[in-house]
Amino acid sequence: MKAFDLVIAKDAAHAVTLLAEHGPSARVLAGGTDLLVELKSASRVPRVVLDISRAAELKGIELTDQGLRIGALVTHTELMRFPLIRDLFPALVDAAHSIGAVQTRNLGTLGGNLVTCVPSMDSGPTLVALDALVTITGPGGRRQLPLSDFFAGPRKSMLEPEDLLLDIVIPKENLGKPADFQKFGLRKGQALALVNAAASLWVDWERDVCVAPRIALGAVAPTVIRARAAEAYLEGRAITPEALAEAGRIAVAEARPISDFRASADYRRDLIAVLTRRALANAYARATAKRDGEKQ
Amino acid sequence: MTDVTAVTMKLNGVTRTASAVPPETTLLALLRNQFNLTGAKLGCDVGDCGACTVIVDGNAVNACLMLAAQADGSDVLTIEGLATLERLHPLQKAFEDNASLQCGFCGPGVILSAKALLDENPDPTQQEIRDALSGNLCRCTGYTKMIEAVQVAARALRAKPDA
Repeated sequence: MKAFDLVIAKDAAHAVTLLAEHGPSARVLAGGTDLLVELKSASRVPRVVLDISRAAELKGIELTDQGLRIGALVTHTELMRFPLIRDLFPALVDAAHSIGAVQTRNLGTLGGNLVTCVPSMDSGPTLVALDALVTITGPGGRRQLPLSDFFAGPRKSMLEPEDLLLDIVIPKENLGKPADFQKFGLRKGQALALVNAAASLWVDWERDVCVAPRIALGAVAPTVIRARAAEAYLEGRAITPEALAEAGRIAVAEARPISDFRASADYRRDLIAVLTRRALANAYARATAKRDGEKQ
Repeated sequence: MTDVTAVTMKLNGVTRTASAVPPETTLLALLRNQFNLTGAKLGCDVGDCGACTVIVDGNAVNACLMLAAQADGSDVLTIEGLATLERLHPLQKAFEDNASLQCGFCGPGVILSAKALLDENPDPTQQEIRDALSGNLCRCTGYTKMIEAVQVAARALRAKPDA
């Protein structure tokens, strides 16, 4: 690696000050699993690398008045092991588990994965399907926006150069919302998603219909996207295998997959229909299991 | 901001300090070049192959993807910390007995990934072993004999946890 200066931020406020001081050329280092690869191959490295990995307030997972707050520096392994996440959101555990290999999950952070804005990221879809918000801090103070709006384009987030991603919040009303994550890669280990899909839904058991369905897709558009037409189709509809299959077909039309060396656009379209249907069916199965558990 | 920094870590049970470490030094470079611990290998250098796997604070990580400065204050275990002069670690013994390695380049990383697994989960399923080793690429032996060796070592360690 070419030489750079390493600056260590004590906390988030310090990091923001340092970002303002060193300007847009400074790069933020969290888990390093993407940044170090980039720095090793780059012909020009930034003058300053800002290490935020010791900032305590960017760590930890906790329930707040707003919902479940996940610090940006939480690693994929920490997420997978955290009892509250395992209890409330097995889909998030599955999504984290599908990232890289053990070594990458032990270093890589949730915030780091999200800010890369790589279209095939595995952290994004489930959180988007749970209406997660991101908290950003910068020179103008703190602000929140939906995660789905945070993805501006391939490898481009809504972060300004002096901004820092603080945490991800799953809103209170979605705590325990049944969800599922599906990924299709060419291998089980260390594979990028050809397509990934997440779904969440509530069920109105009185009428046995779907309420507030969410479908999020990855690797099929410049960013993680919501399949809003498929969601609208399912809203208030009885959950039958035919309805879930139809939602999958509708989702296909909402995506803009590309052909590359991993898969053709046509193959990805087939995958979208299948993975969307599976994610919805599994979310419904989790809803059913939850209801049956509560009855006992 | 400094050109060089001191890095102190507990390395294989002994506190060690490197006094003048340039910021762009990876943990792998520090281990190999400053501390002369060459068990962790430089393979792909981008976190794909796992040949540089070491255990930092109980977690298997790719030493090529960590800056040395980020390991300051950590507890680091490398392959050199497993055996004593008298005795191999049960994982090393099982890999040897089972002929689980040929060229051996991936071996230190594979064995440390397996150690991190067994420390957390003494009785893993075959699928859990495969998952734990999925970040370690072997290009000659294949994985079947490694998985068998991890199962043998797991049994040995369960029978004698202090071995």
